[in-house]
Amino acid sequence: MNNRLKVLRAERSWSQADLAQRLDVSRQSVNAIETGKYDPSLPLAFRIARLFEMPIEAIFQDEP
Amino acid sequence: MTKAQWSPALKRYQARFWPTMIVYALVLWGAIHLLQTGHPAGLTKYALAVAPAVPTLAVIAILGRYLVEETDEFRRMLTVQSMLWGLAFILAVTTVWGFLEGMADAPHIPMFYVFPAFCAGMGLSQPFLAWRYR
Repeated sequence: MNNRLKVLRAERSWSQADLAQRLDVSRQSVNAIETGKYDPSLPLAFRIARLFEMPIEAIFQDEP
Repeated sequence: MTKAQWSPALKRYQARFWPTMIVYALVLWGAIHLLQTGHPAGLTKYALAVAPAVPTLAVIAILGRYLVEETDEFRRMLTVQSMLWGLAFILAVTTVWGFLEGMADAPHIPMFYVFPAFCAGMGLSQPFLAWRYR
């Protein structure tokens, strides 16, 4: 699954560690999600969407 | 992962695991000593023989507790994956060794080595998982 997490994070000048702290997850989790190696659960996807104040589908896309 | 990056659940796991391993070493040493010097029989012998298994069972419970308490789903997934590698490793080793014992007179390996071998399999998977999710 593709996502815009890295771009959204960069727009806010947040490091992976900053985003991890805001989401209450490890930095490794943020890295794995950003690189597309791990797809977050629905509850974590909702937390990410709430943090960026966007709908989930504006952050995660299931098509290239 | 450095110690500072440990999640609260991982810290609790470590705080439970290491004291339990110390208890295991002490109980194992004590049980062997008493079995060799006291030559107990009957129920006492059974109780002494099974005593070292109790801390080992506790370690299994501690591992399960970690999975329940870990709130970081990615880390939980990594632990589950390493457990599956450990399971695959021990299934492969015991199956092959079982046939070697039965058909080629390979020496018997006691069953209590199964859990440490499972843990070794988990440990061996760590560098692979770290590379896979780098």
